[in-house]
Amino acid sequence: MDGITIALSKGRIFEETLPLLAAAGIEPLENPETSRKLIIPTNRDDVRVVIVRATDAPTYVQYGAADIGVAGKDVLIEHGSEGLYQPLDLKIAKCRMMVATPAGFDYTNAVRQGARLKVATKYIKIAREHFASKGVHVDLIKLYGSMELAPLAGLADAIVDLVSTGGTLKANNLVAVEHIIDISSRLIVNQAALKLKRETLVPIMDAISKAVGS
Amino acid sequence: MNWLLPEYIADALPQEAACIERLRRKILDIFRGHGYELVMPPLLEYLDSLLTGSGSDLKLRTFKLVDQLSGRTLGVRADMTPQVARIDAHLLNRQGVARLCYCDSVLHTLPASQAASREPVQIGAELYGYSGLEADVEVIRLMASSLAAVGTPATRIDIGHVGVFRALVRAAGLDAETEEQILLLLQVKDVPGLAEACSSLPEFCRSALMRLPELYGGDDVLELAAQVLPALPEIVSALETMRRLRNALPELPLSFDFADLRGYHYHNGIVFAAYYPGFPSPIALGGRYDGVGKAFGRARPATGFSFDLREVARLAPKGEAAGAVLAPFSGGDVSLQSEINALRAAGEIVVELLPGESANEGPLCDRCLVRHSGDWIIQAINRN
Repeated sequence: MDGITIALSKGRIFEETLPLLAAAGIEPLENPETSRKLIIPTNRDDVRVVIVRATDAPTYVQYGAADIGVAGKDVLIEHGSEGLYQPLDLKIAKCRMMVATPAGFDYTNAVRQGARLKVATKYIKIAREHFASKGVHVDLIKLYGSMELAPLAGLADAIVDLVSTGGTLKANNLVAVEHIIDISSRLIVNQAALKLKRETLVPIMDAISKAVGS
Repeated sequence: MNWLLPEYIADALPQEAACIERLRRKILDIFRGHGYELVMPPLLEYLDSLLTGSGSDLKLRTFKLVDQLSGRTLGVRADMTPQVARIDAHLLNRQGVARLCYCDSVLHTLPASQAASREPVQIGAELYGYSGLEADVEVIRLMASSLAAVGTPATRIDIGHVGVFRALVRAAGLDAETEEQILLLLQVKDVPGLAEACSSLPEFCRSALMRLPELYGGDDVLELAAQVLPALPEIVSALETMRRLRNALPELPLSFDFADLRGYHYHNGIVFAAYYPGFPSPIALGGRYDGVGKAFGRARPATGFSFDLREVARLAPKGEAAGAVLAPFSGGDVSLQSEINALRAAGEIVVELLPGESANEGPLCDRCLVRHSGDWIIQAINRN
């Protein structure tokens, strides 16, 4: 494929990336929310967008199936960044990675040095590194969704999850007790594509960078 | 399911094997034609000698086992370059230039990338005993011509120099942990992460490090680098080396990347990576690694490159497979046997049918030997 393929996930990332792409003169010709197409043409003949699951964006870019893409910092930490460049913080899809427990749970005492804690999360790597740096042993329980249920149902003592407004936590009587890392989306670039398609990619990246800065 | 292979491990079936072998011969012939002598280091060695002078990533990628004879730990080679450096430093003991090449399987505990095999066939050439740039020019040219000869010419050869980052680290007095952290961030061009990690560094160093991820591209990058990087002696000399390299290789599609620090702990001068359209990582890698022989008792200047022959064979144009000649069972027929021998001597593939065998499923036979008024002649096989 001679042109440029951009990997985006539906929803918040797609919506918030649109103005940045527009700044680079790229406009998708269809809306993935209404279209069922997975490959979306743009106003530029040499640029197309592929719609992927958010967690799959780094995989597509690593294999070179897409040249550039947008992925949350959370996904990049979990997935690893081998074979990728991540030169630009797009400052979109912002949220925080937090530890949350049921209201009234004595978290401070539960994470004293040498303690052991049951933690449910989708973000195994982030949770493991966070608790290891505190010197706390954790039993990690990998879940794929509805993390908030785990402490309520007695599956875990705490959860590690993304929090944007805190509404879901509140509705389930959980409180955020610790902030791990701020999350936003990054522009990711296949390393070989940046070398081979530099003439096409660099102007797009520069335009996006300028749009983010303004 | 006892026929399944481990993950990332594969057989090479006839067509692929033929292609790999064809390329292997072609490339080794090119190496030989340039005076590179073939060596065959062992599949396994004591772990300490196998890993000498290499980074910790190689240690993780090396399969280990215990030697029943000595009780010591053995490693199955994950990279042949240190082995060849050991041969040069210890066994050949030449004072002048040594040119060596190699081609064999290596084994990785983890695939180098998600798409890579855990058993690449590493083919490469190394030049020892010459510290001048002319040696790097020779190996880069050799790399480019071998890739071109098998139909996968590099459309971009990216040049980096580990001396630039090393000079900045030294000038700023960074501790090993910070150096490692910044190194990882630079390799993925993680500019936001880099800004955070550099926030407490001296200003000249911080601003120079922040420029490195943007310093990639064509010849103009060399000019830009000279303007924006501090004029430390090592940096000035690194830039001069890159400029001279550019001038020495006008025929090659060179580009530059100051944040390409692949093999930072191993290399000590220029590093290079060749790219081919449609392949998501470099197709061939190389660079200068003068210090490595020191661990074996004799530091020798060294430069070279290698690539995975399996990968290149997959990308290479397939070409028309030579058709074979189908011959009837010769039994005691002397005239037929001598005809077959003559064809084989001329380089033809001749498949002799066994008694009762009606057709051959092996190599594609497009011609057959038939008797025509007493003589054996070759006739095209009509497949309709």
